[in-house]
Amino acid sequence: MQAWIDFGEGPLFRFSFVLMLLGLGRIFVLTLVNVAEAYRRSPDKILNYREIRHKTIAWLIPTSRLWRKRPVYSGISFLFHLGLILGPLFLTAHVNLWKLSVGFAWFTLPQGLANLLTLAAIIGALALFLMRVFYSPARALSRRQDYAWPLLLAIPFLTGYLMVNNTLTAGAYQAMMLVHLYTAAFIMLLIPFTKIAHCVLVPLSQLVTAVSWKFPAGTGARVLETLGLSERPTWVDKPRLDIAPVKLPDLIKVQSQKKEAKAS
Amino acid sequence: MNRVRNFKLFLWSLIGLGAAVATARFMFGLGATTNLSDAVPWGLWIGFDVMSGVALAAGGFVLTATVYIFRLEKFHGIVRAAVLTAFLGYVAVAVGLLFDLGLPWNIWHMIVFWNPHSPLFEVGWCVMLYLTVLLLEFLPVPAESFSSLARVRTLLVRLRLPLVIAGISLSTLHQSSLGSLFLIMPSHVHPLWYSPLLPVIFFLSAIALGLMMVTLEGLITSYLYRRPPETELLAKLGRAARWIFLIYLGVRFTDLVVRGQLEHLSEGVWQVKMFWVEIALSAVIPSILLFISKVRNTLTGLWIVAPTAVVGIVLNRINVGGLVHQQRGETLYLPAWTEIIISAAIVAGAALAFLYMVEKFHVWERHPVDPEAQPKAMPAFDIASFASLGSPQIRSRTVYSLAFIFAAALGFSLLSQNALSSRGMDPAPVGKARGWNEMWIDGNLDGFGTSFAHQKHFARGGGDSTSCAICHHANLPHDRFTGCYQCHRDMYSATDAFRHNWHASPAGAALRCFDCHRLGEVKSAATAKSCSQCHQDLKPSGVVIAVKNNQAASYTEAMHGLCLGCHKEQAAALNKADLARCGNCHRERKPLVDDPVLAKRYEVLESKGVIVPKVSEPRFPGFPVPTPPESQMSLQDRP
Repeated sequence: MQAWIDFGEGPLFRFSFVLMLLGLGRIFVLTLVNVAEAYRRSPDKILNYREIRHKTIAWLIPTSRLWRKRPVYSGISFLFHLGLILGPLFLTAHVNLWKLSVGFAWFTLPQGLANLLTLAAIIGALALFLMRVFYSPARALSRRQDYAWPLLLAIPFLTGYLMVNNTLTAGAYQAMMLVHLYTAAFIMLLIPFTKIAHCVLVPLSQLVTAVSWKFPAGTGARVLETLGLSERPTWVDKPRLDIAPVKLPDLIKVQSQKKEAKAS
Repeated sequence: MNRVRNFKLFLWSLIGLGAAVATARFMFGLGATTNLSDAVPWGLWIGFDVMSGVALAAGGFVLTATVYIFRLEKFHGIVRAAVLTAFLGYVAVAVGLLFDLGLPWNIWHMIVFWNPHSPLFEVGWCVMLYLTVLLLEFLPVPAESFSSLARVRTLLVRLRLPLVIAGISLSTLHQSSLGSLFLIMPSHVHPLWYSPLLPVIFFLSAIALGLMMVTLEGLITSYLYRRPPETELLAKLGRAARWIFLIYLGVRFTDLVVRGQLEHLSEGVWQVKMFWVEIALSAVIPSILLFISKVRNTLTGLWIVAPTAVVGIVLNRINVGGLVHQQRGETLYLPAWTEIIISAAIVAGAALAFLYMVEKFHVWERHPVDPEAQPKAMPAFDIASFASLGSPQIRSRTVYSLAFIFAAALGFSLLSQNALSSRGMDPAPVGKARGWNEMWIDGNLDGFGTSFAHQKHFARGGGDSTSCAICHHANLPHDRFTGCYQCHRDMYSATDAFRHNWHASPAGAALRCFDCHRLGEVKSAATAKSCSQCHQDLKPSGVVIAVKNNQAASYTEAMHGLCLGCHKEQAAALNKADLARCGNCHRERKPLVDDPVLAKRYEVLESKGVIVPKVSEPRFPGFPVPTPPESQMSLQDRP
């Protein structure tokens, strides 16, 4: 057992940590380069940078936008992210390990606050998972990995919390430590290659959207065909929301009625 | 199969591994990342990166001389590629040197602080100037693609002849003076390699190697880009090279005969086998094969000759550069994997730069078909997510960077924990002190130690149990006679006297965290119980020395700390200044050679050529050394 823990603390941790750092750097640079290339090719060069900046910041603040529409979700999500990021980064035990291995340390949180943040992350993860399962609009948009992520992220936090705050036998402690180390390494391996890469891509998110509006018309028309997936049904074909699809002629009728009402 | 892309993937992976090792090298130094030592200060990085790198780039000056001086215009087609190879080769040398220099940021010193007596000074200046010349020689090629550089290009083309002449003179100077470097160490380099003619030998082999390298590079690129190989031209290079190989061979053996060193060939040491392997690869096989026109004129033949010769002459540089040096003490130097990775990564970087230049500019008469710039290629899709990877160019970017980061992460995981934290300190385990009335304290059992009057010190302290506790400050659990060496286990570095993982392991003490740590606080040594709360027998009663933490100081530090404190006090009190001086305890004698273990060790050391100093007189004449009576020297008198 101790040998597996040593492997997880040593080579495995170094591998996954370095892969995460470099992978996040890589995805950021690649995104930037590809955005620049798409921008260079598009005929329309006008981008409203001020609006992009404003939107990027606004989506990060829980009290704006989302707060008004879905306050509960927004609050939970914010607390979850807070625990997820601050907890592991500024936990005294983690920082001490860095101090021992590379020789420098940084600011740490008091143990009580770190506990609270960890709890926020665990409860937040569970709540987000349940919301995804029981809220049908969210379900319609979810892939398999979207359900798996909150649960996977909760595991190292749960084991960490138990190790710090509970009296465990030596064997149970080692088992916990093993799970903690290996799930953390697994998460770090996945981060740069999955949607968790949004941790560095957030500043670019609105820019990417803005540039993709500038794609020449018909750019994506033959994607499914090129992929050889033209037979595959898409979510557009089978609406999962219990909303009657609006037909185009109806829409035109409604708009013309509105116009008439205005004119009169 | 896309050969270029696969090759580039391989190169990017090497660079990734190299990036990881380079980080460790610049953070933790040479000791942590190489097998170099004080006995072997020059290893692979000098032998391969610098010495061979310079020689591999010799094709540049050989071909510019052929084309621009001797006007053999038929070689015009490959001269640009040869100059580019030379330029990148010299850049690689400069980069490789930065890794090997202990203080790389001082590399500019040779420009300002002149030492005209040193061959390295000449090498440094020549390499620097030749690098500039090569840059100017190659610059017209990329300048073709930029209309704004047209004037610069015209000027450089006009200056070509003086540049070429300068390049040839500089090359001649430093190719040979790399050999001169070793003239200074006749007693180091093995006599089969050492010769006053080393400069000439280096220069000759550099010309041969330059030609072979141009051949090899032509072969590799024609394979990669599927372009027709210039077999005819390369055969002509081979025809010239065979004479140079023969001359080289002649000079080597004539030199051996004249110096009367042939007798060394009959010795049964590994250096002789190495000599034959090197001579066979670097001269005999290539010259014989190149004389056969069927070998010279076929692709297969060239594929055999060129790599053989390149490996052979590189082996020669590595041999002279450090591998066959004598008197290296006990150890044989073999490069660590980290050293090999750095060398490979530097070559990979140069190769990538070469491919980039070749694809971007008119290095060859005909542009190679760049598989990354095919306008009609279908966009590629990621296998897992079906995400579009875009055009071939974007796809390559994505895939190369992926290879790089994976290799870098792998490199970091392969670096041992020692390399990352111990800063290269070799472990020096400590042995037990022997004797009772008179103890012999020699921590690392190298025969040098101190004779310690144990019984006398005991008596001076009062002769009862309080006297023991003056020095013996801690016992292992359930023990009353724990020796110093049981906690202070390393001669020069601190050791862990507590073993946290053992205490917390179910196979060990099987303690729970909060048996020792306090619940709700950060677990650390500061917030844990003290050892004595469980181990009541840990401290002898009346102990004077307080144990501060679980890090036992190094043996030397512990011993000096223990002895010198009292000795200084006593020296002042008794007005005996010598009491606290080194010579009072370290008398540089080997009174224990009658110890069978130690005698054996001396035998082994001496058979390996290590000089074991035989000191029988006191080193410090001022301090007479009393010969301890035979009875006190006995080892087995412990009650």
